[in-house]
Amino acid sequence: MRKKMVYFIKEAFTSFKRNLVMSIAAVSTVFLTLFLVGSFTFLAFIGSKLIDAQEKKVEIEVFLSESAPSEKIQGLQNRIVTWSEVSRVRYVSKNDALKRLKSMFKDAPEILEELPGNPLSPSLQVRLKDTRKVESVALKIKKQPHVKEIINDPDKDVKYGQKYVPKLFAVTRIFRWAGIGTISLLGFASLVLIVNTIRLAIFSRRREVAIMRLVGASNWFIRWPFMLEGIFQGLIGAFLTVVILFIIKTSLFKYQIIQFFTWLGVSMDYQPLLSQFYILLLALILGGIVIGATGSAIALRRFLKV
Amino acid sequence: MNVIEVRKVTKIYEEGEKPALDAVDFYVSKGEFVFLVGPSGSGKSTFIRLLLREILPTKGEVYVAGQNIARLRPWKIPRLRRSIGCVFQDFKLLPNKTAFENVAFALEVINRPAHIIRTQVPEVLNLVGLGEKFNSYPDELSGGEQQRVSIARSFVNRPPLLLADEPTGNLDPATSQEIMSLLNRINRTGTTVVVATHDREIVNAWRKRVVALEGGKIVRDQTRGVYGYEEQELI
Repeated sequence: MRKKMVYFIKEAFTSFKRNLVMSIAAVSTVFLTLFLVGSFTFLAFIGSKLIDAQEKKVEIEVFLSESAPSEKIQGLQNRIVTWSEVSRVRYVSKNDALKRLKSMFKDAPEILEELPGNPLSPSLQVRLKDTRKVESVALKIKKQPHVKEIINDPDKDVKYGQKYVPKLFAVTRIFRWAGIGTISLLGFASLVLIVNTIRLAIFSRRREVAIMRLVGASNWFIRWPFMLEGIFQGLIGAFLTVVILFIIKTSLFKYQIIQFFTWLGVSMDYQPLLSQFYILLLALILGGIVIGATGSAIALRRFLKV
Repeated sequence: MNVIEVRKVTKIYEEGEKPALDAVDFYVSKGEFVFLVGPSGSGKSTFIRLLLREILPTKGEVYVAGQNIARLRPWKIPRLRRSIGCVFQDFKLLPNKTAFENVAFALEVINRPAHIIRTQVPEVLNLVGLGEKFNSYPDELSGGEQQRVSIARSFVNRPPLLLADEPTGNLDPATSQEIMSLLNRINRTGTTVVVATHDREIVNAWRKRVVALEGGKIVRDQTRGVYGYEEQELI
């Protein structure tokens, strides 16, 4: 079997060379379609990072009554921290809140000069692991026992941007689904296109297949070289895609185009993006191989019927 | 022992149509040389295709080398074909392979090791008189040369049976005679040869067994026969 494999691989290579025009057609189809899918998926990764960054900004602020005893506040804080949805709880004192306000308006200090003393309340800033759970967590805080002793009016003083958060999530959901939809559509179109090109290439050689069968070649004996050739075509196409995408990615970072988002005020961690990118490249190569092999097998099926 | 046994075989391609073969009985024993003659549409090609198990009989039974081809499991069909060499009017060579590779292919298919291929293929190509053209592609060869490659391929694995469907149909008379002597030589090594043809001259020149088909029926079966009734009357 191993010896036969060597023969099949040799056959696939010679056939690739001797049917060069068809081979080039198949390789460029694989390249173009995988490039489209690949670059769009990469864009979608970046987009999803931007969406994540927006969503991460959502926090719950629990404004505390000034008369709340500090051990009760501590108790509430300790309890909230143990919840699985919560990543961090920070106590902001009355003074801290004022300091923060002052730093926000440091260009126009006159606005704050009018303030009578410090009107701000101390608060707990609750950050979540999954911000989509913001509503349920806010509700949970409101329902804590003896919450009235700490918070004047739980309905008003537990704030998370009730007005805009649902809209934000509606928009991000649309973006996510649109991304997934477009990528699947593109992927499907590529699949059809590649399989069709390979089919065309094999169709032009159906006479050969018929002759092989007449000489007594078994179906697998015929199939192997064709499948290897398909794998080979898919591999070259995918490899070209990977090279081009890599060049694009490198120049995006080199000319600091990616950092543009930081400038937009979106803080982003690039490391996960990069590892996603490499996984994407790997997936493209695997995809090329799988499509090439199955495309050939599918195309051969009708000529191998007994 | 009969290499070919065709028992009451009827082949109807499409329901309601006139049968291509009509209750044909036909036996060929080992080592025979048979001409299958008749005008186009008489059922010669249907016959060949049945023996290769490209099609199945509508009625009756076909045995090749003792095997009922209708009972053959699909994975065994390639094995049947390996035991039948075939030669066709249109040569059926692989266009992307050289003469050598075309012949070698028949051995690759049956898993012959490389050293056997390296010795047997040149031997057979020399036998058919193509010693010089190992590395030519089919489109670089003349019709006669292509048919020689095709014969070399059909014969290289020494099959017990060789079928030829109009092997001289595309060749001039002189080349046709050469191809026929090649087939005759192969027959003398013990291979059973069946040649379907409507080449009058060749049939008359060789005086072998002649089986005449007409409208799907065997109308004449003659040892040392001739092509048609006209010639018979002259004898």
